[in-house]
Amino acid sequence: MAAVIDKEKCNACGICVRICPTDVYYGSKAKEIPVVTYPEECWHCNACVHDCPQNAIHLRIPLTMQVAYKS
Amino acid sequence: MKDIKLNIEQIEADVLCIGGGPAGLCAAIRASEKGANVVVADKSNTLRSGDAGMGNDHFMCHIPDVQGERPGFFSKIGKMSQAVTETFWENAYDLVKRWDSWGIPMKYEGKYEFAGHSMPGQPDFFLHFSGQNTKVKLTKQAKKTGVRIINRVMILDLIHDNGTIAGAIGFDVRESKLLVFKTKAVILATGKCMRLFPQNTGSLFNTSTSPINTGDGRAMAYRAGCELSDMELNDRWSGPKYFARNGRGSWMGVFKDPNGIQIGSGKEMTGHFYPQLHENYQKSGRGPVYMDLSDISDKEYEDMKYWLVHEANTPILDFFKEEGVDPKEHPFEFMTYGLFTPGGINYNEKCETPLAGLYAAGDEFMSFYIAGAAVFGSIAGESAASFAAKTKTSDEKHTQTLVVKTKEFLETVLNRTDGATWQEANSAIQQVMADYCGLVRSETMLTAGLEHLRRLKKKLPQVLMAQNTHELMRCVEVLNLFDIGEITFVAAQERKESRQHHHRVDFPFTNPMLNEQRLVVKNKKGQPVPEWRMKA
Ligand SMILES: Cc1cc2nc3c(=O)[nH]c(=O)nc-3n(C[C@H](O)[C@H](O)[C@H](O)COP(=O)(O)OP(=O)(O)OC[C@H]3O[C@@H](n4cnc5c(N)ncnc54)[C@H](O)[C@@H]3O)c2cc1C
Ligand code: SF4
Ligand code: SF4
Repeated sequence: MAAVIDKEKCNACGICVRICPTDVYYGSKAKEIPVVTYPEECWHCNACVHDCPQNAIHLRIPLTMQVAYKS
Repeated sequence: MKDIKLNIEQIEADVLCIGGGPAGLCAAIRASEKGANVVVADKSNTLRSGDAGMGNDHFMCHIPDVQGERPGFFSKIGKMSQAVTETFWENAYDLVKRWDSWGIPMKYEGKYEFAGHSMPGQPDFFLHFSGQNTKVKLTKQAKKTGVRIINRVMILDLIHDNGTIAGAIGFDVRESKLLVFKTKAVILATGKCMRLFPQNTGSLFNTSTSPINTGDGRAMAYRAGCELSDMELNDRWSGPKYFARNGRGSWMGVFKDPNGIQIGSGKEMTGHFYPQLHENYQKSGRGPVYMDLSDISDKEYEDMKYWLVHEANTPILDFFKEEGVDPKEHPFEFMTYGLFTPGGINYNEKCETPLAGLYAAGDEFMSFYIAGAAVFGSIAGESAASFAAKTKTSDEKHTQTLVVKTKEFLETVLNRTDGATWQEANSAIQQVMADYCGLVRSETMLTAGLEHLRRLKKKLPQVLMAQNTHELMRCVEVLNLFDIGEITFVAAQERKESRQHHHRVDFPFTNPMLNEQRLVVKNKKGQPVPEWRMKA
């Protein structure tokens, strides 16, 4: 669940680590590909997806959060 | 054996803003403009933190050139005093102009546009604005004005002496650092209180508004001697089923039952003003209730998506895109989310609290939403700056004792290797709140629940454990939630009637004698005590 980083696209700029409101990326090191330490604290706000300059982040919406719709 | 130690760092300023949402940042900007030396401490990062982190799209205000004279019913909007309400309407347009000048687009296609989120038969009072990057712009403006922003610092208690504020204590949530703020004035702007009640959405962080706002400001103010108001009058919201997110008013379709029959009279905001609709339909066997967009035009659909982007709903739009499902063709369910706490620090029109030098703004008492945060943030900044200008830094005697005690407690939680995680404690408080002080309340259940809550609360300091300062932040949030929970119980016991979502099965009627009164809870020697006040 939560944010999934495409390691091929990520340039380790650290923006997502800087801005994530719930600090899902806690423990990430400067100039390294971020680690998703606390996925269960992701608010699924899209801030990291939106602000990532490399378009490297994708949110996997957990099964418990998938919107119920009519097929 | 772990041996984590917190290093102490002291920060001095005239004014400390706790929380860097629209309220905290507007407060900081104004105080700085007035000549104060200002620091903002936010437990997250002001660029994207809090309820407005990924945007808002409507701003309550009155613009005479566009709307004409202010309609009388505007004076009835909001839950605070009449003076606060009038002050809001007098100042909101000024904030619109200020925000526009700071690069927040308050006009749409060159004009002020009032649309949506209106009440049936009443004039519009919400200005549409493209607010996705509001927080980025406010942060930039704050820095430009000379404000110092310290991100990733959670404030946990106020320092005060004899009814006068002297600063606050916090800790760095990424490094082992205790921060002691010595300031002449403090502004509380920590937003609402979520995570106290379960949201019926499967996880602690699946909340319609920011899950990191846990009533910290309310809890700190209460511990320091401020009374909290309307704490039993919890509220609920509705929105897309299972993906809890505010913004329900921006979904422009109509609600329909499973047979495609429209519920209510159409675009009259049924979902906004009657959030229990979805739950009640389900209970009566007629559910679920669908948000149906099939009748809106393509232009309306595109407009709706534009505003949903600015109202922080891109993750839901992205979900549908990835699912290969067009929500215009596929009605989706709405649900009623759990209870939350809009009541809190009932600040006055100058944003003063009963403590000299302590101010509060924005959702510390939820009223007027983001526009209220902007207006009262600015007023709090002005009040705090003028207070600081005439005050000397207090050489507060027990600061040192408080620092030592706080450091010792936090280090114990950090170094404990066996005990309760914050998740366990958070689930425990949610369970008690829902079962004993939730949608159905009664004297016997409230009494039994409060006893249980107090037993758990007493154990917390002996069992809570955190692996690092991030988890320590969550532990402190839960401690605050236990304080707020206890206060909610005490207020719910005292209000022997039913009103809004406070439903007492043993007192099912609304008592009109209480219409003009407000219930507050005060801290008397560590115990929450309820008192009634006449509404101002
Ligand atoms: C999805 C969504 C859409 C919305 N749309 C609208 C809209 O269109 N129009 C509208 O009027 N309103 C809207 N709202 C509500 C609006 O965003 C809030 O009313 C507004 O943000 C309140 O501002 P605030 O500064 O009081 O609190 P917040 O913006 O929530 O900011 C609180 C800040 O305090 C910080 N903080 C909390 N505790 C601590 C602590 N202990 N120490 C340090 N920092 C702390 C947080 O990190 C955060 O930055 C929406 C809300 C959501 C969630
Ligand atoms: S913002 Fe994007 S590119 Fe930068 S570190 Fe995060 S994932 Fe990598
Ligand atoms: S979606 Fe939001 S909460 Fe989740 S990791 Fe990204 S920035 Fe953090």
